[in-house]
Amino acid sequence: MSINNSLIIENLTKLYGYGLLGLKKFKVLDSISLNIDLEKPKIVVLAGETGSGKTTLLRVIMGVVKPDSGRVMYKGYDVHRLKGSMVRWYRREVQPIFQDPYETFNPLRRIDSYFRDTVRNICGIRNGDEIERRIDEALRFVGLSLDRISGKYPHEFSGGELQRISIARALLTNPKILLADEPVSMLDATLRVNILNILKYLKEKLNMVIIYVTHDLSTAYYIGDYIAVMYRGTLVEYGPTSKVYQEPKHPYTYALLESILEPDPALREKYPLIKPSALEIKEFLIYGCRYASRCPYAKDVCFRKLPPFIEIDGEYVRCWRYTNYKE
Amino acid sequence: MARDILIMNNLDGGYEVFIGGKRRVFVHAVDNVSLTLRDSEVLGIAGESGCGKSTLAKMIYGAIVPPLLVRSGSIFLYTRDGNVVELNRLSIEEVRKKIWWLEMSYIPQNSMNVLNPLKRIKDQFINVFKYHNMEMDKNEVMRHLKDILSSLSLPPEVINAYPHQLSGGMRQRVVIALSLLFNPRIVIADEPTTAVDVVTQRIILSLIREWRENSKSSLMLISHDMSVHAYMDDRVAVMYAGNIVEVGNVFDVFKEPLHPYTRALIESLIRKGDKTIRKGLAGQPPDLVNPPPGCRFHPRCPFAMDICRREEPPAVSLGKDRYVKCWLYASKR
Repeated sequence: MSINNSLIIENLTKLYGYGLLGLKKFKVLDSISLNIDLEKPKIVVLAGETGSGKTTLLRVIMGVVKPDSGRVMYKGYDVHRLKGSMVRWYRREVQPIFQDPYETFNPLRRIDSYFRDTVRNICGIRNGDEIERRIDEALRFVGLSLDRISGKYPHEFSGGELQRISIARALLTNPKILLADEPVSMLDATLRVNILNILKYLKEKLNMVIIYVTHDLSTAYYIGDYIAVMYRGTLVEYGPTSKVYQEPKHPYTYALLESILEPDPALREKYPLIKPSALEIKEFLIYGCRYASRCPYAKDVCFRKLPPFIEIDGEYVRCWRYTNYKE
Repeated sequence: MARDILIMNNLDGGYEVFIGGKRRVFVHAVDNVSLTLRDSEVLGIAGESGCGKSTLAKMIYGAIVPPLLVRSGSIFLYTRDGNVVELNRLSIEEVRKKIWWLEMSYIPQNSMNVLNPLKRIKDQFINVFKYHNMEMDKNEVMRHLKDILSSLSLPPEVINAYPHQLSGGMRQRVVIALSLLFNPRIVIADEPTTAVDVVTQRIILSLIREWRENSKSSLMLISHDMSVHAYMDDRVAVMYAGNIVEVGNVFDVFKEPLHPYTRALIESLIRKGDKTIRKGLAGQPPDLVNPPPGCRFHPRCPFAMDICRREEPPAVSLGKDRYVKCWLYASKR
């Protein structure tokens, strides 16, 4: 893996203020490191509960949120220090797809105007025919065409179509990376699979890396080649999806995978009733492992020090259990 | 066989909306729904967003405020003391005093946001007691409250907290505790676990299950999440565009879905540890302002016949407890 062809996230930390004046700080992202090489097409899933920092991480990668420390290196360039035409280059290389297709588009603007603007401003193409050819090509990938969208407003499309349109818009710039923030959570079950299948197809066809954020672990397995599990701002485990699902190393990943309900009534007796514990915002303020207060294996050190991110045969996990730390 | 305690006959209703103050539009969200709820069972209502699940819940609960309009139908409730009440004939005052909380209670959608933000948790509970004219000694109330909270594994300090000081999962548990306060015989839970993460979802479902096993009450569980239905239900009713298209024992429906829509829905579910390519449905759910004639599913149905486009299919009974609203099965009768 070379630096010139990978996305490297180094020790990323982001603080958000809270309290009356926002003077008290907590770490939304805490020392996150992740290397994604861009040679082969793949889908990397960022999974975690609400408030685990997955969307913030995505925004930092996108370059719209600046980290407080650490950096994001794309093909050897620091994403947050790009200047002039390099910013536009990065916008071409990395494109987002958002969660709610109804909010992505301004209801008073025609859909095709978004496409024309993107091609003109970001790709720098001025020739009218060339623009139309480019738009049509992108739309064909998602099973639509320019004729079907031109002149229409967002309300004339269904949620599934709009989400396909917003994927097509992202494809206009021939990006290397697609950042997808829960693109199917607002869609109905029967339409959801279609979008997932499109993403899988695009990955292979266009040789892309897709970073896919979700809280739904069944979808994560269906779509993902690699999975990064986040908990309260830390990245607790990273590895190939099948490996992580078969033997989760971090106790949190294990608990999470055990909690997925399967859509099969025959399996319902498999799930024991579980007792709640008082979950606290305070977990963000702990210095050590965020999961320590709920972890069955917690030791003293877990509350005091953040565990290191260690590699165990191709997987990464942030847990004291896999170190030879002695009290 | 368990007794029916809540019978809904031909419920029909929707939302009346005025566009530009003039043009009246009727969103037909619940179309001719008949359903029964039995003693101590969990009846699930499944369906995608906008298919009328929540509207049906509101109609049953009697929380009918404009623009919601009930056009026809009746709901009978067998009360605790053996009487039969026709719910939609009662005035809203009577329903409030006699039915809500005592006989039937409702866990609303988004339940983490229904608590009054300016009141401490204990005051929210005391309010409910006061409303039902229950004179209770303050110390006794406090003790009772602490019991309830500890059964939900909430720390006792919670009673003095304001809602914003609790996490989403904790607030949700408080709301559930409130709705179960007088041990109602029927609970209608509208998407009780949508806004929470998987671990909290398991906790809340465990809680509801445990409560039900102890109290022998009936639960009507509304959710779009088929795994929740698989985990909780005895019987499940599948809704599509305001119609109930299939009702049956949950094991039968998941094993052998009969209606083409249910079949597509179950086939599109992604299971943990499964990477085989799944297929979704093409098209989109119909506009409820102007639903298609005949069967509302026919534009997306792979088996659509001529009659489906013209006439509404009847509810065909197939074996015990199994109803399917589809022309495919009408001829086999």
